[in-house]
Amino acid sequence: MKAQDIIRRAGRNLSQAKVRTLLTSLAIAVGAFTITLALAAGTGGRAYTNAMVEQSGDSLSLNVYPKYEAQAEAASGLEEYGVEKQESTSGMKVLKQKDATELKALEGVQTVSPMYSIDVTYVTRGEGFKKYIAPVTTKADRTAMILAAGSLNDNMVDRGGAIVPKSYLESLGFTDPQAAIGQTIILSIPRYDSAGLPTGESKELSLKIAAVDQKGDTALYYQEMIRVSPEDSEAMAQYQRGPEKADQFYGLVVLAKKGTDIKALQESIKAKGYDVYSLQDMREALLQMINVAQWALVAFGALAIFTSIFGIINTQYISVLERTQQIGLMKALGMRSRDIGRLFRYEAAWVGFLGGLLGTILAVLVTLANPLITSALKLEEGTRLLIVDPLPSILLILLLMAISVASGYFPSRKAAKLDPIEALRTE
Amino acid sequence: MIEVKNVTKTYGKKQNSFLALDDINFVIPDGASVAILGKSGSGKSTLMHAMSGLDRPEKGQVIVDGEDILQLKTKQVDTFRAEKIGFIFQSFFVQANESVSDNVSLPLEIAGVPQRIRSKKIRAALESVDLIDKIGNKAKNLSGGQKQRLAVARAIVNEPRIIFADEPTGNLDSVTGQKVEDMLFGYNKENGVTLIIVTHDPELAAKCDIQINIKDGKIDSIV
Repeated sequence: MKAQDIIRRAGRNLSQAKVRTLLTSLAIAVGAFTITLALAAGTGGRAYTNAMVEQSGDSLSLNVYPKYEAQAEAASGLEEYGVEKQESTSGMKVLKQKDATELKALEGVQTVSPMYSIDVTYVTRGEGFKKYIAPVTTKADRTAMILAAGSLNDNMVDRGGAIVPKSYLESLGFTDPQAAIGQTIILSIPRYDSAGLPTGESKELSLKIAAVDQKGDTALYYQEMIRVSPEDSEAMAQYQRGPEKADQFYGLVVLAKKGTDIKALQESIKAKGYDVYSLQDMREALLQMINVAQWALVAFGALAIFTSIFGIINTQYISVLERTQQIGLMKALGMRSRDIGRLFRYEAAWVGFLGGLLGTILAVLVTLANPLITSALKLEEGTRLLIVDPLPSILLILLLMAISVASGYFPSRKAAKLDPIEALRTE
Repeated sequence: MIEVKNVTKTYGKKQNSFLALDDINFVIPDGASVAILGKSGSGKSTLMHAMSGLDRPEKGQVIVDGEDILQLKTKQVDTFRAEKIGFIFQSFFVQANESVSDNVSLPLEIAGVPQRIRSKKIRAALESVDLIDKIGNKAKNLSGGQKQRLAVARAIVNEPRIIFADEPTGNLDSVTGQKVEDMLFGYNKENGVTLIIVTHDPELAAKCDIQINIKDGKIDSIV
């Protein structure tokens, strides 16, 4: 018998037992629905993570620190009284200009800026204005910022400029962000001696407000600080600690040229004996979490499908029993046992197909609720956390069809082996 | 021509063995209408099963058009039944939930006839049994007589050489039964198709060219 005729007969047989077919395929649909949604959440979650990480930092920058060596292992047993402790060689080391030079020579490196921590006594708008205490840091990399006013040069602030958080404006006496742009802000920097103690001297650095920034919804973290350029930062550090001490920093920011393979650069810096951290590390950690969650959900879906297998086997056996006479007739008319088996296997395949299709369609319908989910989680508008990929869905449906056919194997064998004379005997 | 030689069929084993057919011999010429007449349990159905290849007797030959079907492989016997034989049963065995057309189509599909040729043959068969107006109906909506006529249409749609009818009018009233009988004999005479009717009704048997009486697995007489 031709395959297409068998397929059509199989479909007709199923449509003649609509309720039973629906119930069996619903069991599969539950599994298909769960797996499709799990994969959709994974796809959407990964896309969201990538977008969010991109926004939260500069993907072309690496933070380089001296290699941290763990303290020498404490000797086991009791500590002896009165014996001088050995100087530990552990603790934070510092990086120097020579390290910066070494890294600048690496391929793909655009700039290397030292991380300084600058102490600022106060900030003020000038004579007649109040003085305030505010943290000041370097805008060392090209992390995108959400600006309420003003502009930046490739997400960096130029020498002589400052980025002030919106929340500081009121205290500084600005009515709105636009009014602050171009205005003067003065930082007072104390001088330290070689022991690190203040000498009493101080210098004022005058900067113009280049931009006003604010917290965004998607940034992973946000710190309110006044940000200055790496050049001004270096100048301030030189004054504050003297040139000698200024040549000691706790870290370096390496900015890579566009198109550089960040991972390779990270590895080559590590190989030179530094600790390197990049945005990618965080991204990878987040992606891993999402993947674990996704596969856990997929496992639940697979469990549902495993359970539905028993339903298919049962339904098929009952079907064979019910249709004993029909099978006997077909065999009497010359239908080969092999084709009888194929008939029942195609019916099982149909059930798998219907279940998979139904589950997938329901999952796609759920993704229509993306806008609701986005607003409920207070994410950026337009974010889609559930994204159904067509190719995995098609593969899933094919897989479910295969599982259904495998489940129907024994019942279809039974049908194929029926003796036509016995089958046609009526009670 | 159908030749049955030394056919013997035993059911069961050793002490429980039952001799259903005991050394049956006869010859049926092409185009004849034959009645296999016997009481219940006489072995008439077993004989039909053996002649149509549904069952294999352990001894003997069934030679149809020069070929012993008992020597053929299963696949070839299946093909033989699909192409050369039509069946009609006492209980009709129409598929109730399928349409009339799909019911008649079954033997054609089994024989691998392509779809475009099928519709013509189905219509022709339904016309000859006077059921063409019911072509779209579901089989379960037909009366008993209509169901048997549907079975006849199914039996003839593949233009078989032999038609086996097992108690064709057993479940029908006399009027409807008469119609079906006329249809069968008419088809037999017009197309030269060998008609073999298994029955316990002597009146029906008398209408056939040849009457094989069977009793306790043995041929009693041939008329």
